[in-house]
Amino acid sequence: MKDAVYVLGGEQTDFQRNWTKEGKTFMSLFREAVQDGLEKVGLTPDEIKKLNKQNRIGVFVGNFDAEQYAVQGHLGAFLTEVDPCFFGVPGARYEAACASGSVALDAAQTKLRSKDYDVAIVVGMEIMKTVSSSVGGDFLGTAAYYDKEAKGVQFPFPKLFGKLADVLLERYKLDEKRYMGALAEISRINYANAKRNPKAQTRSWFMNNEHANSRGGEFNMAVGGRLAITDCSQVTDGAALVVLANKNYAEEFAKKKGTKLSAYPKIKGWGHRVAPITFEAKVAESKGDKWVLPWTRQTVKDAFDRSGLNTKDIDVFETHDCFTSSEYAAISAFGITQPGKEHEAIEDGVIDFHGKKPINPSGGLIGAGHPVGASGVRMMLDIYKQVTGTAGDYQVEGAKNGLMLNIGGSATTNYVFVVGK
Amino acid sequence: MREIKTVTVLGANGTMGAGSAAIVAAFGKAKVHMLARDVNKAKEGIEKAISSIKTDTIRPRLIPGSYDQDLEKAVSESDWVFELVAESYEVKEPINKRIAKARKPGTIVSTVSSGLSIARLADAFDEDGKKHYYGTHFFNPPYKMILCELVTHAGNDKKVTKKLGEYLDKTLGRAVVYTNDTPAFAGNRIGFQLINEAAIKAEEYSDKGGIALIDAIMSGYTGRAMAPLDTADFVGLDVHKAIVDNLYEMTKDAAHSTFKLPGYFQKLIDRGDLGRKSGQGLYKMTKTPDGKKEKLYYDIKGDLFVPVPKFDIPFIKEANRRIGEADYIGAMNIVKEAKGLEADIARYFIARYVSYSLSLVGEVVDSKEMTDLAMGTGFNWAPASAFVDFLGGPKETISLITKAKLPVPEVLAKAKAGKPFYQLKDILDARSLFKG
Repeated sequence: MKDAVYVLGGEQTDFQRNWTKEGKTFMSLFREAVQDGLEKVGLTPDEIKKLNKQNRIGVFVGNFDAEQYAVQGHLGAFLTEVDPCFFGVPGARYEAACASGSVALDAAQTKLRSKDYDVAIVVGMEIMKTVSSSVGGDFLGTAAYYDKEAKGVQFPFPKLFGKLADVLLERYKLDEKRYMGALAEISRINYANAKRNPKAQTRSWFMNNEHANSRGGEFNMAVGGRLAITDCSQVTDGAALVVLANKNYAEEFAKKKGTKLSAYPKIKGWGHRVAPITFEAKVAESKGDKWVLPWTRQTVKDAFDRSGLNTKDIDVFETHDCFTSSEYAAISAFGITQPGKEHEAIEDGVIDFHGKKPINPSGGLIGAGHPVGASGVRMMLDIYKQVTGTAGDYQVEGAKNGLMLNIGGSATTNYVFVVGK
Repeated sequence: MREIKTVTVLGANGTMGAGSAAIVAAFGKAKVHMLARDVNKAKEGIEKAISSIKTDTIRPRLIPGSYDQDLEKAVSESDWVFELVAESYEVKEPINKRIAKARKPGTIVSTVSSGLSIARLADAFDEDGKKHYYGTHFFNPPYKMILCELVTHAGNDKKVTKKLGEYLDKTLGRAVVYTNDTPAFAGNRIGFQLINEAAIKAEEYSDKGGIALIDAIMSGYTGRAMAPLDTADFVGLDVHKAIVDNLYEMTKDAAHSTFKLPGYFQKLIDRGDLGRKSGQGLYKMTKTPDGKKEKLYYDIKGDLFVPVPKFDIPFIKEANRRIGEADYIGAMNIVKEAKGLEADIARYFIARYVSYSLSLVGEVVDSKEMTDLAMGTGFNWAPASAFVDFLGGPKETISLITKAKLPVPEVLAKAKAGKPFYQLKDILDARSLFKG
């Protein structure tokens, strides 16, 4: 990729918070995320005003379903409520279900690479605890083909990813006990990682392999075929912000900060592919293919091709573990193992925090939380932290390059970004 | 410090005992001897433990027993003896003597006392026992309230304290607040000061709404999910009395007179109206003739329960609105500038809370972060330091405290302007504790 896009930093909200219980609206979530993020990066209202006057800055908001959860649309315009410095700044909302944050990141990087703007503020946000979990589950069903896969189905997504678990098991002729144990271990690792992350939703929750493996009882109910509550990410309120810039501005910014351009990581590669929307069509299409989710694999390959890097060059991964089965499938999509051998990497500790290829040191969606439209931006922020050595207690030692995979629907919209210095 | 593999919990049938045992068995993967007066009570404790943390996987690690039959054997094989029996020297000291005889060198023994002297309780032990004796003050319910005050006394070994603190923090997931062996330690001293003074003020303004008025003034916009007198009702008026009586007797600080239990509290306690656990106390839930739930409050002067009115206090409405929009400084500006009795009371209590919390630095805790963490994670109250920032900084806060005729704490007087006073932002988001 010729024209570099730099990540200048960002911030996320505490994913443990329940904004409705606090008597606060999505607007408050937006305001705190933006104020905190800009403060952390060091982008002042005066600077934003100046950049806007020169038409060099834009705003990109990733959000899935504020219409239903918060009865509000037109989110691209909402930064004007946060601070008057955003009056006039071009802004729009981007949506691709759980990959909404990534489609906002992609739109931003495109505008920067083409030099339409020099600076992009990317915000991902979702407020989800405004409704009961069953009503929210129905809202989330619109990320699938609602009429065919979700209408009248209680909690459609655990069921779709439960089917993915079934297909993986059957396609690779896996030992069921070993496979389910590996899924439980994914859950254990993500919860354990979340304990080191001060912004993670589950940082004080209990989890171990034994509990994650005890599916079906009173305390770990089955919710989607083979999958139980411990295999699922949780309903989360949250937002994340990152600031991206092209070289024109990153150099200026570095100078202002008294640092070098090389202090900031670059987006080295990206991939974006859309698979057939229904899960049934995905499975039918992938019959005979080495990967059950070939378009997810292709997205990773595209990002590798664009970056000139490969699995061996990636020190840390943030993946879309909306369910343990999605993280399982991602392991081979990343090239860490061959398809069907993912459990070996899990059992051998390869993807553990101290392993050779750590996945989700933040806790991922299962541990850190999954505010749908914010997840892609949160992943980008976490990869930024890892490759700049600023992840604190959840820092992977010596991380130079990181990769994030963010998916929308049942692995329908696939997005990958490779970030490093 | 020895690795903690086996733990004895005394008082395992209570909510706190069962909840703490669950934490140790789940997060610490320890085998836990759950001791109570009789084995059936202990078995009840096991069920409570499992349902408190919602995992049946800890069941095999929980072993029921009784004080009479099992104490000596359980203690002799334990690495930590966690005592949660009744809050009095008369109950704790004889038990400690039995523990002291049965424990092996190196075994940690700790009490969950919320106010007794740790040094006095440590006296039952030999030199090794004293070295390993602590207060580990958990808060209720332990799975939700992650605070643990680790109370040390002069006989402790700093290396053991450090290791125990790390175990409580990293293994059991507690927010550890190190406190000195002072009455009620940090959380309860600050918390019950405010609650008791609110109770006193409720009596003073009993003709204007009393208990209900004070709680309305101290609602969500002042950084608490539950108003102070509602909290007293929740914890029990007898428990409240035990804590403030002890503080009144044992402390002589600038807030001394505010620890005196109001007469109407004693009256309610004497007739068994202890709060939520006995059905009524400061409040009472009832049903209207058309079947709707109704909350009543105790009218101090009339000595009867009357419906909680909907107070129309414009500055509170406006402050709530601002909090609801995440404008915390704006909300505090409203409070600072509002006119009238209710606003005077709100300002007084905010000033008192900040003044008293920070005044304990040096005596009870070593840093303001410790009092902030104690209130944030033990009471779910917005920490004092966060108020300083939202009030506009140290200078503005000092002015508020001075106007309330309260002492200005040294740590605040020495604070530098222009720098955030609250330093726990990455550990505890204080904004989440303000309710709009």
